[in-house]
Amino acid sequence: MKYAVEAFNLTKAFKGEIDNGERGVVKAVDQVNLKVREGELFGLLGPNGAGKTTLIKILCTIILPSEGTAKVNGYDVLEESEKVRSSFGWFHGETGGRSLYWRLSAEDNLRFYAYLQNVPRDVAEKRIDAFLEFFDLMKDRRKLVKDYSTGMKVKVMLARALLHNPPILFMDEPTIGLDTLSSVETRRLLKTLNTELGKTIIFTSHNMFEVEQLCERVAIMRSGKIIIDSSITTLKDTLRDIRAIEVDIRDSKNPDEIIQRLSQMPMVIKILEIRNRADNLFVRLQVEDEYEAIPQITERLHSFGTKIQSIRQVEPTFEDIFVKLTGKE
Amino acid sequence: MDVEELVRLLYEDIPRRSSELTHIWAVFWANFKIFLSYRSWVITETLSTVASIAMYSFMGLQVAPDKLSGIGYGDVDWLAFALIGVATANYLWMCISRISHSMLNEIREGTLEYIVSTSIRMRSYIIGQSIRGFLVSGYFMAGVILVGLFLLKVPLVVTFETILSFLMIITLMVGSYVGIGVMIAGIILVYKRGDPLTFLFASITEFLGGVLFPIGYLRSYPLLWSLAWLMPYTYALDAARYILLVGGSLTSPSILNDIIILVVYTFITIPIGFKVFKWGYNRIRAEGTTATY
Repeated sequence: MKYAVEAFNLTKAFKGEIDNGERGVVKAVDQVNLKVREGELFGLLGPNGAGKTTLIKILCTIILPSEGTAKVNGYDVLEESEKVRSSFGWFHGETGGRSLYWRLSAEDNLRFYAYLQNVPRDVAEKRIDAFLEFFDLMKDRRKLVKDYSTGMKVKVMLARALLHNPPILFMDEPTIGLDTLSSVETRRLLKTLNTELGKTIIFTSHNMFEVEQLCERVAIMRSGKIIIDSSITTLKDTLRDIRAIEVDIRDSKNPDEIIQRLSQMPMVIKILEIRNRADNLFVRLQVEDEYEAIPQITERLHSFGTKIQSIRQVEPTFEDIFVKLTGKE
Repeated sequence: MDVEELVRLLYEDIPRRSSELTHIWAVFWANFKIFLSYRSWVITETLSTVASIAMYSFMGLQVAPDKLSGIGYGDVDWLAFALIGVATANYLWMCISRISHSMLNEIREGTLEYIVSTSIRMRSYIIGQSIRGFLVSGYFMAGVILVGLFLLKVPLVVTFETILSFLMIITLMVGSYVGIGVMIAGIILVYKRGDPLTFLFASITEFLGGVLFPIGYLRSYPLLWSLAWLMPYTYALDAARYILLVGGSLTSPSILNDIIILVVYTFITIPIGFKVFKWGYNRIRAEGTTATY
């Protein structure tokens, strides 16, 4: 089996602020071992500061690892960085368009990066036209990027990452800053690039829904470590198990009684969180089937005169998934 | 255009061939376009250049002509003497600060981080940036000399031969300082503060190089005198003055001596400059500070 990306005990330690404002060594990436098959659409999930972007930047040869190494398209990131760089396209959504030249137009930005990525001139022009048309930027192509909205800048950045048609794509939060329609189109483009052209895509996101839709396999990072590496089917099953319900109750005169009644309901697995402040009660519950649970909980609370301010289904946190999959707290 | 159409365009995997010349051109072209987009900056910079020359011309009225007669350039006019100093020093300062200024800007804007992830070599990036710097600074140097020549009627020896010789000396001066500029850029990559370092460097160069006064005045201060002759700029300025004030050419013995020294400096400083830059570049990659947005 051929791997597009392999990481071997990859570690990145930075000197920085640790707890209580003291300075020390922070491991942004900690002993990561990873294998992504050629043609795989791989999701990398994790909360802010989990180490996803640092990991991607090491794979893109922008950051040097402190320990370990990695291979991208079969080339070592330390020994063969030039070959690595011609193998991937990188999108980094967190920058919000700052990595573009704001005093150049969209087409000039794309032309510049196409030349740096060795795309022949005539091919570059054809592709620039196509991407600008796809992202609906044709009429603004000659406008300076400084006059673009964040969404438009993100689109130029996406075009830049894809323009040279590399075999591997590092898509670090590619739908950040895009409107719903553009997000859907971008996900569809990535999926098609994967299925039709066999591109390997490493996709990072905070958004569980996006990852569920796109990826075949996911890894979850926390504190620099990959804590879970599983198939999307396993993740979907887990999510189904642990999606929670949140209830806000107004004027709760007797919170203990409400909690007791809720916990006695058969579909309630666990009360995850309780907050009670100035007669307002917030309860987070883990239930068996959230679609059936919402009307039943509403009816039950109404039956003894409780005023519900809101009741909703919420996505589980990465912690919830971790606890569910590993059994560890 | 829909997704399928776009993807169809990418079916054909066209081979990409790496060309350093294309990379250098791309960096030069993009940065030159950015420079042209700052129209008001170009206008104010041009006006301030003209104003500074006017100031020097009034200062020249205070210097008695006989004060400069024994410095080796014949019966030279102070304004002509200073004009060449100011034009070349400004040019050098702009060339050197351009590389580090661009690097700092690219780090702040997050563009350097993306450039690092592409197929370009840092060497090509520096050359492209430098060519832009040389050309843009050249515009101001030419401006200073032309204003002096045509508006202030400064007596310079302008023939086809002296122009060519002067340009050759300027090229050698730039060559001897490219390494230093790249070295400063490498240091600035790490410390992220460029202005104090380049300002210090420029001030020392202007003072010891004798931009506004004959360098012979430093003879009474042996340390400063020795330091002055350790700087390649001193040799470049001496040669430039000899060409434009006396009408010397590249084959004149004193200029030949200057040329040899400038060439030696070029060969020594360029490899050192690139080594220091590589150190700075790898250090920011290790620290993860290729962008500071």
